Amino acid sequence: MEENSSIEMRDAFAEALLEIGGNYENMIFLDADLHTSTKASMFKKRYPERFYQFGIAEQNMFGAAAGLAIEGFIPFPSTFAVFASRRALDQISISICYANLNVKIPGSYVGVPTSRAGASHNSIEDIAIMRSMPNIKIADPASNNDLKAIMRAAMETPGPVYFRVARYAAKELFGSDHKFTWGKGKVLKEGLDVTLLGTGIMTAFCLEASELLARDGFSAEVVHLGSIKPVDRQCIIDSVSKTGCAITAENASVIGGFGDAVLEAVSDECPVYLKKIGVRDRFIESGGMDELFTLHQMQPVDIANAAIAVINSKKK
Amino acid sequence: MELNDKDFERLEEIAYKIRRLSIEMITYGKWGHIGGSFSMAEILSVLYFKEMKVFPDDPLHESRDRLILSKAHGSPALYAALALRGYYDKEEIYRYCEINGLEGHTHIACVPGGIEASGGPLGMGLSVSAGIALGLRRKENPRSRVYCILGDGETNEGNVWEAAMSASHYHLDNLICIVDYNKAMAKGLIWELMGIEPFYDKWKAFGWNVQEVDGHNLNEVYGALYKARWVLANGKPNVVIAHTVKGKGVERAEFNYKWHTHAPDPVTADAMLRELSITYGREPLGYSKLNIKENKHTFYGGE
Repeated sequence: MEENSSIEMRDAFAEALLEIGGNYENMIFLDADLHTSTKASMFKKRYPERFYQFGIAEQNMFGAAAGLAIEGFIPFPSTFAVFASRRALDQISISICYANLNVKIPGSYVGVPTSRAGASHNSIEDIAIMRSMPNIKIADPASNNDLKAIMRAAMETPGPVYFRVARYAAKELFGSDHKFTWGKGKVLKEGLDVTLLGTGIMTAFCLEASELLARDGFSAEVVHLGSIKPVDRQCIIDSVSKTGCAITAENASVIGGFGDAVLEAVSDECPVYLKKIGVRDRFIESGGMDELFTLHQMQPVDIANAAIAVINSKKK
Repeated sequence: MELNDKDFERLEEIAYKIRRLSIEMITYGKWGHIGGSFSMAEILSVLYFKEMKVFPDDPLHESRDRLILSKAHGSPALYAALALRGYYDKEEIYRYCEINGLEGHTHIACVPGGIEASGGPLGMGLSVSAGIALGLRRKENPRSRVYCILGDGETNEGNVWEAAMSASHYHLDNLICIVDYNKAMAKGLIWELMGIEPFYDKWKAFGWNVQEVDGHNLNEVYGALYKARWVLANGKPNVVIAHTVKGKGVERAEFNYKWHTHAPDPVTADAMLRELSITYGREPLGYSKLNIKENKHTFYGGE
């Protein structure tokens, strides 16, 4: 099923919005002057009466989303992930999460590949921020079909959901019949020497890393954990208790995010050598996509090198 | 529009009881905001006992009017009004600030349909209210109104003005905002800390119908709310700027920001309640739990 998709993830987002909009009449979309970037413009065109423009005022948009959810609607307040997680955090925390309202929050333009906009627009802290709030569920899709499955699951799950949407095309790892379940990971490749745990588009990088490792004679198990909160503790424990060491890979800061969610499970039940791949404690600068992944040591080769390091630690 | 004598007396009695119950629950609960509860006693009395259509026996009834307390720390006064209106037994107020009781700041899960949203951080309630008003529009519910009580201090927050802009953009004339303009914030008087004037002009400039009243004058409050609901259906959201006195009703708390967050000890509460009853021309009546052991506790709050 692995093939290079030429469809950008934001276009898949728009396709899923149309599908959901057709299935749920009470689903509505709220925008903060970014609908042509996020591609929600397609939803606006199809369902103009269900599209609300809030201008450049994210705090108000998320507050209004809470009000609309109180009245029984399922709002998608949409903006870039940086603004959702930073500018409107208080509203998301108290008006939405504390009240446990049925609001679905897409965080667009996540992580490293976000255009050349620089630090202000590359969301690296959203996983850590969102993960720290009670009641909310968090998912980071590996590919377009994963994103669509996550959005369908979000509609079937009462309560607040935050899901990440990358801007660019990602390698398709799943079929169109792919299902997403909260708190369930997926073993994409079995192995014995090390577990590579990926979320979001980094799962594809883990698969590439496993091929590099195979050339060096190492057998890597690759697990995709699209559901970051709740995270599949059992799947993690089962794999790392077999391999004895692990790498986590996320398209975000390594502080407080996906890697730490894995570490919490591992340190509770099955401590092993583990290294986290992701953005180190620094902001992302303007630059090209590939060169940024290289600069931040998040390429498949970096994952493979980190894997060899933990395998060696294990052997000592 | 004026209240008849019977209604006036009834609403005055309710405002008195809202203040009494607020002191009772703040003292027993060991935490709370007397100043901001007292300043809106008349506003809540008129809303819950004259102006708003509510169904305490069926609190989530679709055609109810909704009230959002953006200044969520004024919860004692709202909990008192809901108890008096029959949403729950009056004894419930003694579970204020207790685990599984009534939350210190209003929380939607505590009283479904009575408390419509969760709050605490200031400046957020008007956005939620605008969302509800928009939702009522989508549901083609023309009857229900959304009332939002804002504190004056929280209009320092930019979020309030984002909400004001959007309510006017979406022509939400089913939204009625009441500002409890009690002139004092947590640590000082509003013009010392961050002035909000010219306040009337600000709302006007944001495209709202603006009325200004004495927030302790039942007739004026009722008149403005009646006008906002029935007369001014002109496609603009409504704001009633209610000039009030923080701590109104007990001299030591009036205009005194030191009573913004402050739970009185039982003896002080007793004196405050006696003073309150005398102010209202009643027989002196003190704190109902003065001699109860649980009152021996550490008090929080103050400066």
